Amino acid sequence: MKGRLYLILIFLFLIIIVINIPIFAHKVNIFTYVEGNKVYTENYFSDGTKCVSSKMEIFDNQGNKWLEGLTDQEGNFSFEIPQEEGDLKIVLTASMGHRAECIIRADELRNTTGLVQENLKEPTSKESTESILVYKMGEENKVVSPEISSQNLKEVQLLIENILDEKLTPVMREIKKSQEDKISPTEIIGGIGYIFGIFGIIAYFLNRKK
Amino acid sequence: MHISEGILSAPVLVAGASLTATAVGYGLKKMAYKQMPKVAILSSVFFVASLIHVPIGPSSVHLILNGIIGLLLGWAAFPAILVALAFQAILFQFGGPTTLGVNTFTMAFPAIICFYLFNRGIKGKNNFFALTLAFICGFLSVLLSGIMVATALVFTGELFMQVAKLILIAHLPVMILEGVLTVFCVGFLRKVRPEILDLDA
Repeated sequence: MKGRLYLILIFLFLIIIVINIPIFAHKVNIFTYVEGNKVYTENYFSDGTKCVSSKMEIFDNQGNKWLEGLTDQEGNFSFEIPQEEGDLKIVLTASMGHRAECIIRADELRNTTGLVQENLKEPTSKESTESILVYKMGEENKVVSPEISSQNLKEVQLLIENILDEKLTPVMREIKKSQEDKISPTEIIGGIGYIFGIFGIIAYFLNRKK
Repeated sequence: MHISEGILSAPVLVAGASLTATAVGYGLKKMAYKQMPKVAILSSVFFVASLIHVPIGPSSVHLILNGIIGLLLGWAAFPAILVALAFQAILFQFGGPTTLGVNTFTMAFPAIICFYLFNRGIKGKNNFFALTLAFICGFLSVLLSGIMVATALVFTGELFMQVAKLILIAHLPVMILEGVLTVFCVGFLRKVRPEILDLDA
């Protein structure tokens, strides 16, 4: 009779698990991406609820606070990449004792801005610009004056950036989705197994004492 | 209601850990060999309950079920909740290893309080009275946990009333739901196996 009741109880909460298969962890997540010279972050609880007006803090690699702000109504927060080199640490403090951390590596920050910025800000020597253009438009064998070419370069860059942004949006979404750590039923059942095992061990030692 | 890593200051963490260690020791000493399967099952119930989200209300909240666990386990609730929280921290990153002590205490201590307040009452002859007490037990355990979390967060510089209000408003649906669940559990056990409610802590 006693055994049967326990069986019923186990069965009951196994049913609960099955009903609730799309289960999410109870914690907060930060999803970051770098675009242009800005870092964008999206912040959400793992069941998808946005972290509205939660505190964001950005630290540099020496651990000094560099920026502080609140997320907007959509749980988003963005900021411009600082001039200094080094990793950035993003800390999100949501309500009721939830906190998440995320580190953006320095090369990640520089990769996206570095090349473009250099080309735009420091006007390259005539030769190099020309060679780029000749390389690009080589087939047409056109001679382009450096002034126009640098303008063209800017436009081309903008165009590429826009197209890339557009094309990458679904990829970003996929990545974000895969980053949300959903809890698999294996983990849940495994956890239950571990708990029974641990109490089994405790029972074993209590039994030996007797 | 799990407090994440890196929020609380060291004194709070140490205080929580030592209180929990003492209570777990006492709980293990009190735990009868016969009670073992019950403790294991309720520990797993706690482990799973935190994964069940209550999609009502302004924030992201989940079941806790510490009321019914305290009612059925007494002091053994401490080891049960500690083990469950440890696995939640390892497998799901709810809370974390350093906050384990504080988190265990904020959830298990209300369970003990509920045990002492209601254990006699729910075994009484009057069915309606017993079930009313069961509801209050489920409701109160979450309420007390919320107050304890708010107390722990006060030392991080947040204002007590502000945090407490936030937590309590967010958990109001959970409190009611747990009250109802506790009523069903107690009602069922009273009918089917009343001796399971018999515990001398």
